[in-house]
Amino acid sequence: MSMAQLLQTSATARIKPRPRGRWLPYLLSLPALLVCIAILVPFVTAAVYSLQRYRLNLPYLRGFIGVDNYIDFLSDPAFWNTLKISLVYTAVTVVAELLFGLGIALLLRRPTRFHNAVSIMLLLPLMTAPAIAALMWKLMTNPSFGILSYAVSLLGIHDFKWASDPSTALFTVVLVDVWVYTPFMMILLLAGLRSLPRQPFEAAALDGVPASFVFFRITLPMLTPYIITASLFRLLDSIQQFDIIYAMTQGGPGDRLMVFQVQAYLEFFQYTNVGRSAALLMILWLITNILSNIFIKNWLRLRERAHGHA
Amino acid sequence: MEHSSLAGRVFRGVALALVLVFFMFPIVWIFLMSFQSNEQILRIPPRILFEPTLFNYQALISGQLRTTAGNLEISFMRNLMNSFVLSSAAVLLALLLGVPAAYAFARFKFRLGETIAFTLLSFRFAPPLLVLLPLSLYYQQLGLNDTYFGIVWVYQLIALPLILWIVRGYFEDISPDIEHAYRLAGHSWREAFTRIAVPLAGPGIAAAGLLSFIFCWNNFVFALILASADKQPVTVGALAFVTASGIQYGQIAAAIVLSVTPTLLLALYAQRYLVEGLSLGAVKG
Amino acid sequence: MARLELSSVGKAFGAVSCAADLSLAVEPGEIVAVFGPSGSGKTVLLRMIAGMFEPDEGDILVGGHSIVGAPPERLGIGMAFQNFALFPHMTARANIASGLRARGAGADVSAKVQSISHLLKIEHVLDHSPRELSNGQKQRTALARALIGNPEVLLLDDPLRNVDAKLRYEMRLELPTLLRRGSASVLYVTQDYREAMAIADRIAVLIEGRLVQVARPEEIYARPATVAVARLFGDPSINLAEVVPVAERGVLFADISGTRVRLDTADHQPMDLGACWVGVRPDDLVISQVASGDAIPARVVAVTPMHEKAVLLLRFTDGTEWLAALPPSATVADDDVFVRFAPEASLLFDRATGVRIGLPHRRQAA
Repeated sequence: MSMAQLLQTSATARIKPRPRGRWLPYLLSLPALLVCIAILVPFVTAAVYSLQRYRLNLPYLRGFIGVDNYIDFLSDPAFWNTLKISLVYTAVTVVAELLFGLGIALLLRRPTRFHNAVSIMLLLPLMTAPAIAALMWKLMTNPSFGILSYAVSLLGIHDFKWASDPSTALFTVVLVDVWVYTPFMMILLLAGLRSLPRQPFEAAALDGVPASFVFFRITLPMLTPYIITASLFRLLDSIQQFDIIYAMTQGGPGDRLMVFQVQAYLEFFQYTNVGRSAALLMILWLITNILSNIFIKNWLRLRERAHGHA
Repeated sequence: MEHSSLAGRVFRGVALALVLVFFMFPIVWIFLMSFQSNEQILRIPPRILFEPTLFNYQALISGQLRTTAGNLEISFMRNLMNSFVLSSAAVLLALLLGVPAAYAFARFKFRLGETIAFTLLSFRFAPPLLVLLPLSLYYQQLGLNDTYFGIVWVYQLIALPLILWIVRGYFEDISPDIEHAYRLAGHSWREAFTRIAVPLAGPGIAAAGLLSFIFCWNNFVFALILASADKQPVTVGALAFVTASGIQYGQIAAAIVLSVTPTLLLALYAQRYLVEGLSLGAVKG
Repeated sequence: MARLELSSVGKAFGAVSCAADLSLAVEPGEIVAVFGPSGSGKTVLLRMIAGMFEPDEGDILVGGHSIVGAPPERLGIGMAFQNFALFPHMTARANIASGLRARGAGADVSAKVQSISHLLKIEHVLDHSPRELSNGQKQRTALARALIGNPEVLLLDDPLRNVDAKLRYEMRLELPTLLRRGSASVLYVTQDYREAMAIADRIAVLIEGRLVQVARPEEIYARPATVAVARLFGDPSINLAEVVPVAERGVLFADISGTRVRLDTADHQPMDLGACWVGVRPDDLVISQVASGDAIPARVVAVTPMHEKAVLLLRFTDGTEWLAALPPSATVADDDVFVRFAPEASLLFDRATGVRIGLPHRRQAA
């Protein structure tokens, strides 16, 4: 019986470590690691600051106060206002952009040359710097010469003050956010729609299934991973919105648009209260961290689909 | 989906027209405004037909604005230059740091690599001020405040995750056999990396670079905190300009046009890769 | 030229063992086919030699020197990949020349490329990019690239897997000459036993990460080490029946479907064999219409033409189904037939271990 052929050389287990190549991945990722550290060090610093009484103008008062900064928030109406405004802003923008973006994606679904041209044009607002976009809308909503102010006056609404009126400020800023970011939803959902397999739709068309049924029972369920990923993406950006709000109203009028990051920015630079600013940002980080964990899971799933591997 | 009824087609046509008007009108309007004098802008009702003037652009480019109140210095061209310098330098640095790391993450499965990749990804979604505010205090101690290098370094927060995750996907799509075949033919890993992996991932690297450029250019908050007037990019500069120039609306519009033109042109050029870039490589267009 | 030696090589990915105690030597100028079903660890073995994976245990030597952990560019190994792995951004010519340039072959690069492409009949597509090549041309380009540097060791990972049947047939004829040209030690991985038999000097049968048998092709066919090896070689595959052989006056008999069949010739020593498989290749069955004491009665259930044979599906009275391969001209007049085989055509395997029980067969290989 001839089993595996035996060799003259003795088969001792090789113990020597591989001489080269082991360090290579570490060497290649070293610079990226440095950037990581450059992020993590200030992050940890911020966490430490949030536990301190730390005012730039009163350095001798600096000291650890435990979670007092956080506890103070509980009884601080300004904090609750910030939380409320941030959540309302996020909810309104994400829902509006999702519905609007989905609607446009459905309109552009068939990949005709015209539809592709439209979808490319819609990318332009998205590629405009949000801070600049805010300035554009500021010019258009200027009470004395803004074209939009003029347009509403034609409708019989005079003295519409847009972002400078507390009752319409949120609406105006949301409008700018929708203008900038709806194309983001649209383009991701359109890519999702166009990547769906065709057979279910062809079968439904052959069977004469009504369009509403096709939409709610076939399109929407199959599109769900894209909807979730795109919405979470926007949710994460929206709850941290700074550029548009700061460029447009700096959180005002009053504290009408005082979202987390604007509040933290003012806490830091206007009131030089580093500890409070850091605590505010830590709370925001906690919220985004939970959301981003959910997001990354969904995102990885889509990525796997796009690349055929993780 | 395939409404072929007349009513359906009319509805879709009208809807698309409204969508186009909503998204295109602001850009068109500001563009037109930038060719108008202040008197033309302030006219009510506004007119579509007007005699265009290059006065606003001339004022911005010469840096001198003569008004009835006196001479106003405009440093907007410097902001524009800063945007170019900061964004290009940030992208170059990010490519230099990110492409080898992306290669390492794609080719070698190692714990540290995954940790770095996911840390950078999760900080892409963390509030930027959380890192920026303490960093600005560190920068003051290190003397990095208000330096080009300091700003370029924080721009890595934007550019690096993007490059890392997009380029990684492209490297993962190259069969390792191809590189191995090249090494068996007598080439070092460095040659396999530069002559096989990088050229084959070329389109992805270029796209990630262009997108990072756009996102760095469009960033506002980093420079707002870390840069003083002479280092500020257009996003911050334009806002400062609005405050400084008050009612020079024509120049503001021209400044806006100059600020967005480079990114819009790049976006049109790179539009094929935008879906992939915007989703950090999770969705292919 | 150098000998390739694997010495007790072992490799596991997590809990899954892909190679265990593999020992094998390939002499210069020799072609050894590594043959086994998919998932048996053939590709992992090849990739360990090529330096893509490192073995957990054992050593790999070329010319007596260990190559484990050496950078791939220093190995002096030529390899043809199953998926060709051509450099997509280079022409076929640049693909083929890539190895020569790196090794500083200098001026005669183009002459060498010319001669190897002439040999492989791809001169006319040298300036095409891989995208423009047919699968056959891609495969020849990949072979040329592996062969051109006259490597000491040549590894071929199922190179004919992705080419069409006609080309596969042609290449099966051409390859042995091509591969022996530079007297390299050649390891040729394949999933096709015919390919292994046509090309290799010896075949190493790999099953579940273990080398079950390393021998010349005809030896493996005639004396498979285990029932698993016997099943892998031959199409249609070997017929098996569960038997408990009994020795009577030095002769082994077994009961197959109620018929007492003689398994071996008279000079055999009696022994107690226990539960066995008896295996008979379909080509060795003799079909007749005439009953006799040692012929198994059977019904012809189906007749299928296959390659250059006619294959009969036979059902014995106890329900056992066997296949018989006859020349295509052979006709069977009646569905009820009688099956016999020569005692020396039978193979006996231990039913518990699957190992073949060595009986002194006289007949040489088919």
